[in-house]
Amino acid sequence: MHTHRFIHCIVPPHMLREISRSGSGAQKIAATASLAMSEQVRVNRFGGAASAALATLAAEGVAPGVKQRRVYDAKNGSGLPGILIRGEGQPPVMDAAINEAYDGAGMTYDLFHQIYARNSIDGSGLPLVSTVHYQKGFDNAFWNGSQMVYGDGDEDIPINERLFNRFTACLDVIAHELTHGVTQHEANLNYGGQPGALNESMSDVFGSLVKQYQRGQSAAAADWIIGEGLFIANVNGAGIRSMKAPGSAYDDAVLGKDPQPAHMRDYVNTIEDNGGVHINSGIPNHAFYTACITLGGNAWEKMGRVWYKTLTEKLRASSDFQNAADLTYQSAGELFGAGSTEQTAVKVGWARVGINIHGALEPPTENEGCLAGFLRLLGVR
Amino acid sequence: MTTILFERTGGFMGRKVSLSLDLDALPSDQSEILRGLLETCDFFSLPESPSLPPVPDEFVYFITVVTDTVEHTIQTSDTGMDDSLRPLVEELGRLARKA
Repeated sequence: MHTHRFIHCIVPPHMLREISRSGSGAQKIAATASLAMSEQVRVNRFGGAASAALATLAAEGVAPGVKQRRVYDAKNGSGLPGILIRGEGQPPVMDAAINEAYDGAGMTYDLFHQIYARNSIDGSGLPLVSTVHYQKGFDNAFWNGSQMVYGDGDEDIPINERLFNRFTACLDVIAHELTHGVTQHEANLNYGGQPGALNESMSDVFGSLVKQYQRGQSAAAADWIIGEGLFIANVNGAGIRSMKAPGSAYDDAVLGKDPQPAHMRDYVNTIEDNGGVHINSGIPNHAFYTACITLGGNAWEKMGRVWYKTLTEKLRASSDFQNAADLTYQSAGELFGAGSTEQTAVKVGWARVGINIHGALEPPTENEGCLAGFLRLLGVR
Repeated sequence: MTTILFERTGGFMGRKVSLSLDLDALPSDQSEILRGLLETCDFFSLPESPSLPPVPDEFVYFITVVTDTVEHTIQTSDTGMDDSLRPLVEELGRLARKA
């Protein structure tokens, strides 16, 4: 087994970064590895998957990204960003929402950097700005185009009438919001109709992947629930959405029943919520889930890469579900080969929700030549 | 007669919350609070809809006020809202969530 000799941590990080940029080849590798090890120690509560990814990054000579997190307190007002409470590298404070926003932003950064080699929301180290305690009784979280914003739930009404906890309590909610930023800097999917539902789905996909990555859960072991723990105990629901079984996340006397469809035949045409972006996202969500389960293993490793490549290289602002299906299929072919099990899993995923890949040509079988395969595809034989 | 119709859509959950209030049928203290908030924001002078692009997961609010002589509807959002309107939206939102 090949190992690198790490530069011991007595060398300060800024010097290591300089060496990783301008040292000799061996020095660069050693410095990069040491930086990654320092990061690993600092985040030692993370699961094994994150640690392994850090080591892989170091071995590949990928420089560690530099997180720049800033968490502000709106003090229950509406002014953004509010008062800075915790900056990068500063210790935890006596405010759970502040610490959750800080940690969640870091964990989201880590998935995108360690697995997809992306340096923050914009790919260029954009500071991750979060504001907590936004307004009173604000049962929501959103991405405003430049930062994350989190409310405390419905803490302003009697406890027996409440439905929501604070929105920083769920890692996948934080990752969902941050991913809206990534989408904005990449495909910039229009926030309405099918492109809007795809935008929402991308946020759910990477929201769930951040959670699975941190927990070290395989696709089979994951719950695929978005917003697990967001409801207070007396709500009858596991979370806000289920990627595994859209439409089943909650069924509550006050909230009603989860309205998400899992198939195109149940697509909801509505003008509300920008054309039902939070409803119809159930369809691409379920396609991703099915592809991951079909393939098996850790969802962030292969299928996450397929979806990431599609988001960052192929989708356009007006892309619809069919485009997403065709382009994820194309991405899987480029990453893993035409006819690969990964590409087949993508096809199975979309077929499960009623979308067939356009131009999904089956490769010739081992026993037939190219001409015979071509004729078969044309339906001649 | 003064009636307020309030509707909130969107948000992380995409759940619609709505409320209809007849101010004349409310207890006088509640009615006065709402009349004061309508006056503070000069509701009937507010533009109907801001021409802002949608913001991911943001709430969108629709408020209609009907009196004997006038009916006016506005659409607004958390990031696009005039500060003078915010107390009215927050109070209507609180009442709708309790309803």
